[in-house]
Amino acid sequence: MELTFDNLTKTFGDFTAVDRLSLTMTNGVYGLLGVNGAGKTTLMRMLCTLLHPTGGRIACNGQDIFELGGKYRRVLGYLPQDFGFYPEFTVQDYLLYIASIKGIRPAVAKKRVHDLIGRVGLSKAANKKMKKLSGGMKRRAGIAQAMLNDPQILVLDEPTAGLDPNERIRFRNLISEASENRLVLLSTHIVSDIEYIANEILLMRDGQVVHKGTDAELIESMPESVWKCRVGKADVPQFMQKYKVSNVKSDSYGAELRIISKKKPFPKAVEEEASLEDVFLYYFGEKAGDTHAEI
Amino acid sequence: MYSFTILVKRLVIHMLRYEIKKLYSKPINKIALAALLALTLTAGFLTIRDVTYITESDEHLSGIPAARHLREAKNEWKGELTEDVLKQVVEENRTARETVGNAEDYKSADAYEDALDDAFVKTQGIADIRELINSTFSDLFDYDYFRADSVPSDEINGFYQKRIDSLKKYLESGEEYFSDAQKDFLIEQYEALKTPLHYEYADGWMALMGSQYLPTLMIILTVILGFLVSGIFSDEFQLKTDSIFFSAKHGRGRAVLSKIEAGFVTITAVYWGAVLLYTAVALCSLGFGGAGCAVQIGSKWRSIYNLTYLQDYLFTVVGGYVGNLFILNFSMLVSAKSRSTVLATTIPFVLSCAPMFLGRISVLSRIMTLFPDQLLRINTNLDEFVLYTVGGKTWGYLTLLLPLYIVLYALLIPILYKVFQKTEVK
Repeated sequence: MELTFDNLTKTFGDFTAVDRLSLTMTNGVYGLLGVNGAGKTTLMRMLCTLLHPTGGRIACNGQDIFELGGKYRRVLGYLPQDFGFYPEFTVQDYLLYIASIKGIRPAVAKKRVHDLIGRVGLSKAANKKMKKLSGGMKRRAGIAQAMLNDPQILVLDEPTAGLDPNERIRFRNLISEASENRLVLLSTHIVSDIEYIANEILLMRDGQVVHKGTDAELIESMPESVWKCRVGKADVPQFMQKYKVSNVKSDSYGAELRIISKKKPFPKAVEEEASLEDVFLYYFGEKAGDTHAEI
Repeated sequence: MYSFTILVKRLVIHMLRYEIKKLYSKPINKIALAALLALTLTAGFLTIRDVTYITESDEHLSGIPAARHLREAKNEWKGELTEDVLKQVVEENRTARETVGNAEDYKSADAYEDALDDAFVKTQGIADIRELINSTFSDLFDYDYFRADSVPSDEINGFYQKRIDSLKKYLESGEEYFSDAQKDFLIEQYEALKTPLHYEYADGWMALMGSQYLPTLMIILTVILGFLVSGIFSDEFQLKTDSIFFSAKHGRGRAVLSKIEAGFVTITAVYWGAVLLYTAVALCSLGFGGAGCAVQIGSKWRSIYNLTYLQDYLFTVVGGYVGNLFILNFSMLVSAKSRSTVLATTIPFVLSCAPMFLGRISVLSRIMTLFPDQLLRINTNLDEFVLYTVGGKTWGYLTLLLPLYIVLYALLIPILYKVFQKTEVK
């Protein structure tokens, strides 16, 4: 399976959400990382044929996905950011309905729904109405629907947003299990999710993929170092103004800062190994002190 | 190939089943259906209650017992309404009325009213034929309830020709403008009425087709069906299920068709369910007799539509069905285009009720006769002289509306399909 974005562009009026993006993806898990408004969701919606590009094309094994239509969507699984459902349907009915619009024969669908309900841990809730499920359970039903047709391309848009830590871990494991032998594109602004699951990370900003590689490659590519230093509480605002600070840990004696800087910011600062979170801050964070995305 | 077709059919049925389940699982729709059932039964019982009979012992009966007495009394006159029969009716009426005399002869107004009531009681069996005589001897658009009382028997000669003469007189008066072709059409329609008319007890049909309950029920049906179907498309956006729907294999194909089919199945099942239930309540109580009588024997003496009661019923309910199909699919189109269930829900209300009021504005009255609400009350509009000339051929507007809206409905379906199929999720 090969997906190619060729000079892909999407504009909404004057705003360019995706800007001449060119990229090729094959089987594996791709983590699409970027702040809100970077164009991740627009890119995914085009990939799922929900939006037509303003320019360029998306090809699946060389053929335009919009020309392929149903043939392409047959191999596609999608969990959108705002996962909507039919509130009065039970989990089972919901999945059986989605199976039908995915073109899965009723007899096969029945079996697959039963299997997937078990795999996502919703066996006890199979006959519960969707509206009665917790946020995490709804997301699990969401991943089950995306997996119904055993898709070769799985697109997950912010799948862990809003989940509590337990559900997040559970969900990450589910995605990991589901990612074998297929192309998975996982969008998030939660760095740790990507770190755990993705083989390749795509950093997206202003509608373009600005960097890509494994987490090690991205960390390696960062031209600045990470420093840990203790400062007095009164000095924290000054450091935050001057440097990119990826973490502030306060205690009664002062604060421990994690600073991204080419030069040693402070004589007693100790160089630390960079993490993906630091890379994220480096590429997407403005000067420290501005509001950052959730890390 | 055969097994593939079977599999596809099963899949389509499966999709359709869930589309329908989506509709009926909404609590508001369950309430709407329960309300419709209650209103249909109420309309049925009110229709039955409208049939009344007063016994000679002054007992006021309504519904089934009244129908029993009326059937007995009216079927004494069952058969062709020849001029001889009509003369007998005139005589029977005169005998009953003679006992009343003049108001001045009575000591009080109440006593006079009592005498009139006695005469009415005696003439219940000939009430329909008496009404025919009233209509024939009154001006075409000026009905006189007491006209039959002063018609001499010998004037009954040429009874059916008098109807045609009244029309000609009306057309010559110039009260309304008709082209020569339209005048000829009207006269031809009058002349085409098969006379002498066949008569028998037909109060079941008269109550069914003559009451205001049927068109009211049709409007209620349209509005309630609007609640049911207007969310078929827009709910996908409101529930944010659109992304998954459109990214599915059949999301821009068979699944869209299954939505249109779900609308069709719901409209068909609910419409015919309610109409047939209403019909069954009325006719099972009042009787099916008289289905073959011309509508002109009742209150539609003036009508240019030469139909029997059964044909009138079929015309009315099929017309109502076509009207509902058009209005509700238009509502579904608005739902698909605007993505708003609330806006789509207002469409059936606006299209079924607003033209009724707008039609009272004289400059709009003509154009309003082409609106689909007219199809919801064919039975009450059967005596309207509204004509359209298309391609040199003149039509009674109700005859024109039916094929017109079948065509418009057929045109709506591919538009609805295309609009939803091409939807983008932004």
